[in-house]
Amino acid sequence: MNKPVPQIAAADLPQAQARWEQEFAAGAGRPEPLRNRSGVEIKPLYTPRDWSGAAYADSLGFPGEYPYTRGIYPTMYRGRSWSQRQLIGLGVPEDYNARVKEILALGGSALSLIPCNSVFRGYDADEVPAELLGTCGTVINHVGDMERALDGVPIGDLSTAMNDPSPFTLLAFELAVAKKRGVPWTRITGTSNQSDCISHFVANHMFFRIALQGARRIVVDHIAFANEQVPGWNPLSIVGQHMQQAGATPAEAMAFTLCSAIQYAEDCIAAGMDPDRFLPRFTFFFDISVSLFEEVAKFRAGRRVWAKLCRERFGAKDPRSWRFKFHGQTSGVDLTRQQPLNNIARVTTQAMAGIFGGLQSLHTDGYDEVFSTPTTEAARIAVATQNILREEAHLTDVIDPLGGSYYVETLTDQMQQKIEAIIDLIDAAGGMYRAVEQGLVQKMIGDSALAFQKRVDAGAETVVGVNKYTVEEDPADYPALDYPDRARMDAYLTRLKAFKAERSAAAVDKALAALAAAAQSKRDNVFAQVVAAAEASATHGEICATLRRELGFGQPLTIV
Amino acid sequence: MKHERPPKVIVTKIGFDGHDRGSRVIAACLRDAGMEVIYTPPWQEIPTVVKLAMEEDADVIGISSLATDHLIVPRLMDALRAAGLADIQVIVGGIVPAKDEKVLLAAGVAQVFHPGAALDDIVTAVRALATARHAKQGAAA
Amino acid sequence: MNAETNPLQAILAGDRRAVARAITALENDSDSAHTVRAGVAAHVGRAHVVGVTGPPGGGKSTLVSGLIRQLRARGHTVAVVAVDPSSPFTGGAVLGDRVRMGEHQADEGVFIRSLASRGHLGGLARSATDVVDVFDAAGYHTVIVETVGAGQSEVEVTRIADTRLVVCPPGLGDDIQAIKAGVLEIADAFVVSKADLPDAQRTENELLSMLTLRRGPAAKPPVLRTIATTGEGLRELVDWLERRTQRGSRHAATEDRAARDLVARSIAADGYGRHLGFELVAAARGTATVRMRVGPQHLNFNGRCHGGAIFSLGDMALGLACNSHGTIAALIDGNISISTGVEPGDWLVAHATEVSRSRKVGVYRVDVSRASDQAHIACLSGTVYVTGKPVPVAVTGERPGLALN
Repeated sequence: MNKPVPQIAAADLPQAQARWEQEFAAGAGRPEPLRNRSGVEIKPLYTPRDWSGAAYADSLGFPGEYPYTRGIYPTMYRGRSWSQRQLIGLGVPEDYNARVKEILALGGSALSLIPCNSVFRGYDADEVPAELLGTCGTVINHVGDMERALDGVPIGDLSTAMNDPSPFTLLAFELAVAKKRGVPWTRITGTSNQSDCISHFVANHMFFRIALQGARRIVVDHIAFANEQVPGWNPLSIVGQHMQQAGATPAEAMAFTLCSAIQYAEDCIAAGMDPDRFLPRFTFFFDISVSLFEEVAKFRAGRRVWAKLCRERFGAKDPRSWRFKFHGQTSGVDLTRQQPLNNIARVTTQAMAGIFGGLQSLHTDGYDEVFSTPTTEAARIAVATQNILREEAHLTDVIDPLGGSYYVETLTDQMQQKIEAIIDLIDAAGGMYRAVEQGLVQKMIGDSALAFQKRVDAGAETVVGVNKYTVEEDPADYPALDYPDRARMDAYLTRLKAFKAERSAAAVDKALAALAAAAQSKRDNVFAQVVAAAEASATHGEICATLRRELGFGQPLTIV
Repeated sequence: MKHERPPKVIVTKIGFDGHDRGSRVIAACLRDAGMEVIYTPPWQEIPTVVKLAMEEDADVIGISSLATDHLIVPRLMDALRAAGLADIQVIVGGIVPAKDEKVLLAAGVAQVFHPGAALDDIVTAVRALATARHAKQGAAA
Repeated sequence: MNAETNPLQAILAGDRRAVARAITALENDSDSAHTVRAGVAAHVGRAHVVGVTGPPGGGKSTLVSGLIRQLRARGHTVAVVAVDPSSPFTGGAVLGDRVRMGEHQADEGVFIRSLASRGHLGGLARSATDVVDVFDAAGYHTVIVETVGAGQSEVEVTRIADTRLVVCPPGLGDDIQAIKAGVLEIADAFVVSKADLPDAQRTENELLSMLTLRRGPAAKPPVLRTIATTGEGLRELVDWLERRTQRGSRHAATEDRAARDLVARSIAADGYGRHLGFELVAAARGTATVRMRVGPQHLNFNGRCHGGAIFSLGDMALGLACNSHGTIAALIDGNISISTGVEPGDWLVAHATEVSRSRKVGVYRVDVSRASDQAHIACLSGTVYVTGKPVPVAVTGERPGLALN
């Protein structure tokens, strides 16, 4: 005999829900509450009683209009897909050039250059142990290297992202190359990726060469320079990725990133810049973890909070200034060494989270990310993943497809609350610079990292292949690390020596002296002199050493 | 009350990689296990690590390594021996391919830990190495 | 030079490995610790020992790093004892002070040793005095001792250092009141760190006015401003440090240090003093300062501090002062006059000075004040009889600190 089908009137919802809760408890018991990585409690079911469309107009609105919850552009991916911007960096400039041409042929639509660790640390290749060169990025030490790296690449038509912190020598080299080729700087588009100096000091990620306050100054100088002379360039990329990779929860990572952005905006305002001029060129860079819905909610909440900050806290009037533009990278921290092909599934999930979250450009990791810079095959799969999601799964057909989900909207609100609470905390500490100098931010991140590791070790957090579903694996089966060819490196070092010998030493000395003078002056634009020095054939190491002398060596601000 | 002599451990990174989440978690964990930890930021020069180990009379040096930084660990081992500090034990944690692991062990590294290693195992190993060093020094230490 | 066969000679020759191993022995109180202690004792007294204390986050380590830079520029060798707290639950510690002195990490003329407090209260580690002596014997020109940054209780640094610097960051606000309880009394100089911050002037003014209240117009410790990041003020600070050593205060400092040491051991062995919660603030030959926080055990039936407790505090200071020369002296006549009542929770500070002393008789005066506002609470005077026998703790070599636990 059939049970009568209950017809639920709106007023009866509470009772209907209570009925369901009983049935649920009877079937599933009353387990421990589940929490996502940010600590938000996740219920088994969400209903209109959690979030209803009545809130639509105020809290969601339409894509391309305040508060931008559903997307920063009216058309989103229907108008233009997210950029497939794969990080590329390996070996010597010629190797980079070859890989770039491959990726562009496969459909990558924008470039990214990640330099060798030695470059991140501010040294030329001839100043460091040779075995460490070129393993995680491309060695680029001067304008000649940049010319070779970008040989045959139409820099006036493509967007390039230079992963390079203060003093942004890679951008300087690119501008020098543009000048040599007769490409006007007004046609150069792209981003100074990861230019946010605060996150480098917090997460010790790679990138500090110059003391925090010195780096702070150069960031502002280079924003001013770009706004004037390279108007298509995004000089500021504020980074949540490092902090999340260091163990910050998604809510913490978003909050700390916004707090850093607040400091940069306030510095620009204090330097006399107009918010409607510089805010449209602020971009963000986030990690995307495998916690799918949490990431979607994080990004939607981020858009809302940022729009509000721009309009109300910074006083920007142009709606274009309120847009939260961001690049997402699938999180390498979630990937495992065990059963590496599983990482393809993880990267796919992370990419989906970013797409549903409304990012503007996406990098997908190779499945062998845990071992080294990706092999050609892994890089191809990473790009194919994006193509499949867009063109087979049709994820771009609908804008903000998860919008209106009772769960996702509730979670977006909850993530927003967590984010705003942390912003208040940092404000109370005197702003992000002060909080970082006091070690407050580092402590919160360290605590989150330790807590997560303990949950993994206790089995409360599953990592497939590591603490569950493990198989016996022979380490010999793991993909081999691809060490750069030592002979090619040695050839590079020989060419570097020749370059230094053939350039005009007088021009270099003059340019470095001008650079030092600008740094001492406190008012002159330091970055303008970095560009001049790049044009005069000064090397990256020489430029960094000069600025370290004047502005101080970066000291770590870690605490455990 | 005479305290048990706690293990004294340096947690550090040499080479160029700056990812230090792993080393920070390890340092906090060792502290919670009752050890005295000198934690340094990344990018330490080898002579600096040697000087540090000597001044602090460390029992164990833990190197956290990503990318190819482990390739210069043999240089550290040589430097420790040259400074008369061969009794200080070195462990390496991070991304180390199997063939390189053999090279490190041959150079005198006590143990290599790979990603996914349980924190408890690392703590146990460090404690055992420290205890062994204390015993070798005998009551004179 | 083989550090194994002749450790003491190696230490005296400045062999760094021998110094490090000796320090380990002292830290762990191992069998060779006694030999080390005895061996270096005859070779101490040359180094200038500078104690640096102050609230956490106040910039102590950064200041110390700046001091090292200045001292090295003048060709001096420097040793640093950096103390960090051990966890009371796990016993472990992260020794992070030296990370902030990174600019000296490769300098062979600088030796930095981190010590965990291992449960020891007072701002240092139990072995800190011994460790300082090893560096002294090894020939380091300046030994800097950086205390655990609790900000309120590093009075222990008084008995270890020739010169005590108290570092106050700007913007302390109410925390200035908190560090008053005894710690301000011990300072030889105050350093307002991070002096580029807006509150620096106000902090300097507050310190100066508090010092005027406490010590009157004469012989006030200087208040210096530094900005460690630019180096401003550091040269002046080190100039001042050098003048202190040249004025012969080091000789006096050594004797005073011995007296301080003895007084510290005496109060540690005082059962009654421990019972009432007395803490040593400062001591030198013929003077002693102690403090206590008025708690429930000190109250009379009217809910205020018992007169007997005030007397006991004053008598403790008096007793320590008159025994600080190393011979037993006992109170034979004493009296107290109390000017105002004291509430529970107040900190009382009793400062004893020697009015006169002959071979057999001494006269002492004690002022008891309330730390929070320097109000005068009571005044004691006493006559003591000098027995001529040596103070027992001076003989047994009992180390302080153990008894404090």
